[in-house]
Amino acid sequence: MLNLKRKINNMNLVRFRFWFQIVAFLIIVYGGYVGLDLGDKLPTFACVYNSEGTGGKCYVGMLQHDLKHPLETFMGFAGYAFLISLAMFIAWFWVLNKGWCGFVCPLGTMQDWLTALREKLKIRFSEYSWANRSKIKSIKYILLILLLIIPVMISNSIGGLPKLPNGLSMPFCDICPGRMLIPAFTGNFNQFYIDFSSKTDLVMTILGMMIVGLFLVGSFIKKRFFCYFCPMAALQYIFSKPALLKLYKDGAKCTKCGDCYRACDMDILEIADDVTSKNLVTEDCILCLKCIAACPEDGCLEANFIGITIFESSKEGFILRMAMDMQKESHE
Amino acid sequence: MNNINHNIESPKEKQNRHKAMEAIKLLNTLREDFKAPISSMEYFYDLFERVHCKHESLHDDKTKIGTMCIQIPSEIIYALDGVPIRLCNGFYTDDEIGSDLMPQKACPLIKATVGHFASGNFTDKPDIVFSPTTCDQKTKAGVTIESFGYKLIDIDFPRTKESEASREYWRRSVKQFAVELSRFQGKKLTRTSLKNAIKKIGYAQSLYHKLSEFRKNELVPILGLDVFLVTNAFFFDKIDNWIEATEKLLSELEIRAKEKITVSGKASPRIVYTGSPPIFPNYKIPLIVEQSDAIIVADETCSSNRMFNDMVAVDEWNIYDMMDSISDKYLKACTCPIFTKNEDRIRRVIQLVRAYKADGVVYQAFAGCTVYEMEQRSVLEAMEKEGIPIIYLESDYSPSQGGQLSTRVEAFIESLKNRRRMKK
Repeated sequence: MLNLKRKINNMNLVRFRFWFQIVAFLIIVYGGYVGLDLGDKLPTFACVYNSEGTGGKCYVGMLQHDLKHPLETFMGFAGYAFLISLAMFIAWFWVLNKGWCGFVCPLGTMQDWLTALREKLKIRFSEYSWANRSKIKSIKYILLILLLIIPVMISNSIGGLPKLPNGLSMPFCDICPGRMLIPAFTGNFNQFYIDFSSKTDLVMTILGMMIVGLFLVGSFIKKRFFCYFCPMAALQYIFSKPALLKLYKDGAKCTKCGDCYRACDMDILEIADDVTSKNLVTEDCILCLKCIAACPEDGCLEANFIGITIFESSKEGFILRMAMDMQKESHE
Repeated sequence: MNNINHNIESPKEKQNRHKAMEAIKLLNTLREDFKAPISSMEYFYDLFERVHCKHESLHDDKTKIGTMCIQIPSEIIYALDGVPIRLCNGFYTDDEIGSDLMPQKACPLIKATVGHFASGNFTDKPDIVFSPTTCDQKTKAGVTIESFGYKLIDIDFPRTKESEASREYWRRSVKQFAVELSRFQGKKLTRTSLKNAIKKIGYAQSLYHKLSEFRKNELVPILGLDVFLVTNAFFFDKIDNWIEATEKLLSELEIRAKEKITVSGKASPRIVYTGSPPIFPNYKIPLIVEQSDAIIVADETCSSNRMFNDMVAVDEWNIYDMMDSISDKYLKACTCPIFTKNEDRIRRVIQLVRAYKADGVVYQAFAGCTVYEMEQRSVLEAMEKEGIPIIYLESDYSPSQGGQLSTRVEAFIESLKNRRRMKK
C-alpha cells in the first residue's frame, strides 16, 4: 500500500494527464459512434451540435433549454424538470469537482494541445498583469447571468420589456467555440456559417465566428485562455464546496516559493500565497493538479477524494518529475 | 655570522599563518572532540585543510565567478562555464584587516569579506564579482571592494517579495546578470547548458534534503557542525567532488541509522539554529551548543538550509521559463531578514521545529547585523506564542567572548533538559 502510494506520488503527471485527456476526448467527442450516451447533464462541453459523435451532452445547453418557459409552466412541471436536471448536473459535477475542466473538457484539452505546440516552437507564453487578472474574473459570471436570463426573457416579459426574439434561445451555444470546433473533429464543419436569416442570427453567428478565432489565437499565446471566461466554470464553482475531489493545502509546510503558481495554467496567486485556507479549489481552478506535481515540499499540497489522499506533493516525486535524480532512471 | 638568514614574515604570510591556525583549530576539534566520528566526513575536513591551511587552489583551469550572497544564481554561472565562489567570509584574521576599512559597528561577516579582498590573498581569486543589493552593508561594501581593483558588478535586488513589481524587477535583474556574465565569458547561454546546470544543482540540493532526513531521526547520526561544514564546502568546492563526497556520506549515514549509532547523548536537547550564518571557521555558537550536550538538528541560515531548501521548478524547459523559475527561486522562497515583512521566516522556523521535533531554538545575530538584530523581536514573540523556547545571542568573530556565551547557552540547554524531564 505504502509502495503504491509512493509510486503515485512519484508519477509523471504531465504524461498521465496527457493520456487521460486523450481518452476522455475520445469518449466525449466520438463515444456516440459506439452507442455511448452519458446523458445530457454533463458538467463539461460535450457538444450537442456534434450530434452523431458525442458521448453525452453539455448541461449548459440543457439549462438554457430548461429556462425557456413561460412563468406559469415553469411554476409547474417545467420547474420540476429544471430542478431534476440541475440535481443530476450537480451529482455528475461532485465526482470530479473542477477536475472536469482539467482532465475531461474537450475545449480544455484542445487548448492544452495548442499550448504544447507553442512550447515545441519555443515561444514564450503571455500572462495577464495581476490587476487585469483579477478584473477579468467577473466576466464568466456576467456570461452565466446572461445565459440564464436571456432564455427566460424569450418566453416572459420582464419589467415591462418586450420579449426577446426566439433566435436567442441558445445564446451561449451561439458564441461557444465548442459548437464549431468539436463537430469539426468528426469531420462536420457545418457549424462554420453566418446566418443571414434575421438580425439576431446574423449578430450571434458573426460573434460566434469571431470567438472561435479568438479561442485559437488566444489559447496559443495564453495557457487556457478561454477558461478564464467560461460560464460553465462559474456555474460549477457555485456547487464546488461539497464536491468529492478536493485540492488541499497545508499552509504550515508552504515556503511560498511560488513553484505551484508558476506551474498554474490559470495563474492563481492564492495557490502560492494563501497559507491559511485548506481548500484551494478557487473559482478559476481547473484541478489539473500541476501545482501538486510542481511542489517540492512533502505533503504540502494534496488531491483528496472523500477524505482519502490520492496524490500528494513530495520531495522525491519532485526530483523525479524535474528529472534531477542523477542516480535513478528519470522520467525523461 | 654573515650567513644567518633573518626571515621577516610578510603580511601575507602572517595572514595565511593566522588563518591556518583558525582553521586547523576548528578542524581538529571536529575530528577529535566528539563521539562516534564519521569517516566520510574526512573528505570535508581535508578539503578545508587543503584550502585554508595548505592554500591549494581548486579551480586553476576555470573562470572564477565571485558571489557576495546566495541570490546570484549558480545555475547560470555553471551554464556559462564558470565556477561560483561564494565570498562570504568567516575568518577573524580577515575581520581584523577589514576593521580598518569599515565602520566600527559593521557586521563581522562584511568586515571579514572586505578584509579578505583588501589583502588580495586568495587561493582561488575571483575573476569577476557579482554583488546583489541585499543588506545595506553588503550593498555598500561593493564600492570599497571595487576600489581595491576588482571587477565588481551590482545586481539589483528588491527588498520586498510579495509584489508583482518586485518579481518582474528581479527577473530583469537576473536576465541582466546572465547578459553580463555571458559577455564576460564570451559564451552564449544555451537551453541544454542551462537545463543541465539546473538539474545538477537540483540533484545536489536533493542530496542535502536526504541528509536532512537523517537529522529527523530520534538518534541523530550527524552533528550540526558537520552539516555546516558540508554546506559551507558548497561555497567553493568542485561541484562533482562535492556530490560524490555527499553521496558517500549519505551511504555511511544509512548504515549508522541502521546500527543506531548516534553523535548525541541520551537526553541531548534538539536545537534549531537560526540567524546570522555560521561560515567556516566561525562556528563559535554551534560549537558551544554542541559541546554543551545539545544537538543541532536543523537550521534556518543562508550558509546552509536557505541555500539548499528551495529548488528550481520548470514547467516548460525552454530558456524563457528556466530563467523565470531561477529568478523566482532566488526571490520568492528567500527568508532573508532584509525583506520588509518576514512572516515566512517565522513560519519556516516553526515548521522546522515541528518537523525535526526540536526542543528549542538558538537565534544568533552578529553584532552589527542590523536586520537580524531587528527581526529578533518578532521572532521571539512568535516563538513565545507557539510555546517554543528560544535564546537570543549576539556574537562576533573574536575568539575572546567564549566564557559568557557558553554560560548562557549551557543554562538554556539545561532548562530544555528540565522541560523534557517535566514532560515525561
